[in-house]
Amino acid sequence: MSSCQSCLLGLKPGTSCAITQIGNMDPILKRRLADLGIREGTRVVVKRYCLWGGPITLECAGQLLGIRQKEAAHIEVAVS
Amino acid sequence: MNNAALIGNPNTGKTSLFNTLTSSYEYVGNWAGVTVEKKVGRLRGKTGHLTDLPGIYTLHPLSRDEGIAAEYLATESPSVLVNIVDASNLERNLYLTLQLLEYGKPVIVGLNMIDVAKASGLQVDPEKLAARLGVPVLPLIARTGKGSKELLRLIEHRQSDAVEAPHFTIYYGEAIERAIDDISRELAAGWEEGRPALRWLALQVLEDNPAVIASLPPQTNQYKLQDIRARAEAKLAANGAASSAEAYIRSVRLERIREICNEAVDASQKKPHTMTEHIDRIVTHPILGIPLFMAFMFLTFQLTFDWLGNPLSDLLDGFMTGPLTSGVESLLIGIGASGFTHALIIDGIIGGVGGVLVFIPQIFIMFLIISFIEDSGYMARITVMMDKLMEIVGLNGKALIPFILGFGCNVPAIMASRSIEQPKERMLTMLLIPLMSCSARLPVYALFAGIFFAESQGLIVFSLYMLGIVLALGLAKVFSLFLFKNERSFFMVELPPYRMPQSVTLFRSTWEKGKGFLRKAGTFILGGSVLIWLLTYLGPGGVADNMDDSFLAAIGGLFSSVLQPLGFGTWQSGAALITGFMAKEVVVSTMNIIYHVPDMAGLQGQIAASFTGLQAYSFMAFVLLYTPCLATVGVLRKETASWKWTFFSIAYSLSLAYLVSLLIYQVGLQLGF
Repeated sequence: MSSCQSCLLGLKPGTSCAITQIGNMDPILKRRLADLGIREGTRVVVKRYCLWGGPITLECAGQLLGIRQKEAAHIEVAVS
Repeated sequence: MNNAALIGNPNTGKTSLFNTLTSSYEYVGNWAGVTVEKKVGRLRGKTGHLTDLPGIYTLHPLSRDEGIAAEYLATESPSVLVNIVDASNLERNLYLTLQLLEYGKPVIVGLNMIDVAKASGLQVDPEKLAARLGVPVLPLIARTGKGSKELLRLIEHRQSDAVEAPHFTIYYGEAIERAIDDISRELAAGWEEGRPALRWLALQVLEDNPAVIASLPPQTNQYKLQDIRARAEAKLAANGAASSAEAYIRSVRLERIREICNEAVDASQKKPHTMTEHIDRIVTHPILGIPLFMAFMFLTFQLTFDWLGNPLSDLLDGFMTGPLTSGVESLLIGIGASGFTHALIIDGIIGGVGGVLVFIPQIFIMFLIISFIEDSGYMARITVMMDKLMEIVGLNGKALIPFILGFGCNVPAIMASRSIEQPKERMLTMLLIPLMSCSARLPVYALFAGIFFAESQGLIVFSLYMLGIVLALGLAKVFSLFLFKNERSFFMVELPPYRMPQSVTLFRSTWEKGKGFLRKAGTFILGGSVLIWLLTYLGPGGVADNMDDSFLAAIGGLFSSVLQPLGFGTWQSGAALITGFMAKEVVVSTMNIIYHVPDMAGLQGQIAASFTGLQAYSFMAFVLLYTPCLATVGVLRKETASWKWTFFSIAYSLSLAYLVSLLIYQVGLQLGF
């Protein structure tokens, strides 16, 4: 399901990375993420995955949020 | 009239502040999207009004509740904006602040949660912030009320002096500035004093804000505006900048915010929320998370019924049937009341209303636990853990918030679904909320389960709640397959830091919910009880000697044959169910009046003689599922804006109740219960 090369989805919990590109996703969600400060260039940390492909929890500047894995699959990142 | 408005990001404490500043009480909680309506209160000191608005991240609305805040700004003219920002998350919060500074009205920034910011090692300098923004910045702790007096004084001061609008401008570069001028000229003709600044309107048009565009006067030439935007975007693209005006404006603002934060925020000592991390490691554990949630729910029922609620309820019942009834009786005899009055008060009112009031302990314990979940921050975690399941059935994890609130009362739960972004998922959630067993159904369970399943009341009631949830999920799947066309679904939720709910807030919030129940007892349940009693007292042939000859028996009897296959084909059950449409507690009132006996033990004996355990379970399932109550139907009509969906909700729940009870009773019989 991953459509990107270096994908946010699949990173181990605890990994910190910078978002390089937010690909194809619902424009409303894209706007929501931008509202929360998640856009190209933002640093995020993967916190945990839910069982059975449930949402992934991310941390961005101290703020925790959950998004679905299929959306995380459209976010390209650079791990540092 | 002076008019201040509270505006800010979701979950930044606006409503907590509203409650302190206006001495009113509105509902608070620890998740994004608690307030879904505009609320107006009178400021303490009576110097004007304060409007509390749903939280928004930007002025561009994405859901119904956000639309309310954006429309308010576009169409009303508040005299001062009170912008509440979360100090622990300043960078994100300032985006809205910049948009508000362009609005052209005096702004006060309330820097809330400075305690939280400090605890996570962030130092925010209010003076530097005020200097950069050009408006007063006031540090606050809304939860404890710290700083609210100063804020109130500032609001009053601002209003009395007709303070000028902030002199804060951002230069957006040549292309955008040109477009702002052009649009301002277009809009100038229809502009009136007191409206938002033209520059603000122009920027919102460039950002394509639907709420603002809809509020423009009808003679506005929309094509011209679009043309100006298109030209500006072409110019931006030619310069190699972002292709949409919106994205470009955003990037300019973000640049400015970064500058401000670099100066006003010292994040060098920043540390993670250790408490939140520790709690999350356990309660949102990939494997243990859901079982822990289920265990928590089960404990809730044990506490509500077996452990705490029932013993308290028995004490209350002892008082009502004992000292209260005999006191009233001797009073009635003392004043020489007629037999009619005597029977009306003792059998009708004390029997009907008192029979419901004895369940106050269970209801309040349930409300207390719901308030705890709301205030702690756990609510948002549940939505994440359950999202996968919800996605499978065509819903979204966020629907869990209205569902859980529905255990208290379905009416606010239906309102709460406003924060769900997708129209289809919001509609589905609203249609299914009535299957969440609200506190009004609790007296029915407490009465019946207490008689037939005394050993395992908590478990039996838990099974009824689960029945409602499982059916709601199943129907969500069916409805989303057959009734709605497939919309793209997404899920995103903010997880706020955990907070230990303060006992004051907790009791306040429990009391506010409980007040609704008491008010219902004084109106619907009282009125219903009097009416029902009259219907049992009178019959086609005047005063009915025997209740079987009364009007109520005749009305209830109409349905007894239909209800026969479900196991409760008596006129008594039929009558109780019809009157239960007013409010589901009235089912218990009716039972109390019909099986009129001096005390609870007697009633239990009567009911035990009229039902078997299986029939009682079938009856409880029917009460759980059949038609939403009057108040819920009203709010469904309002929120769906459609009679069709409202009637659909009544129709499907009635059919569902019939089918499920039929299945329970017939299968139960076969199994030999």
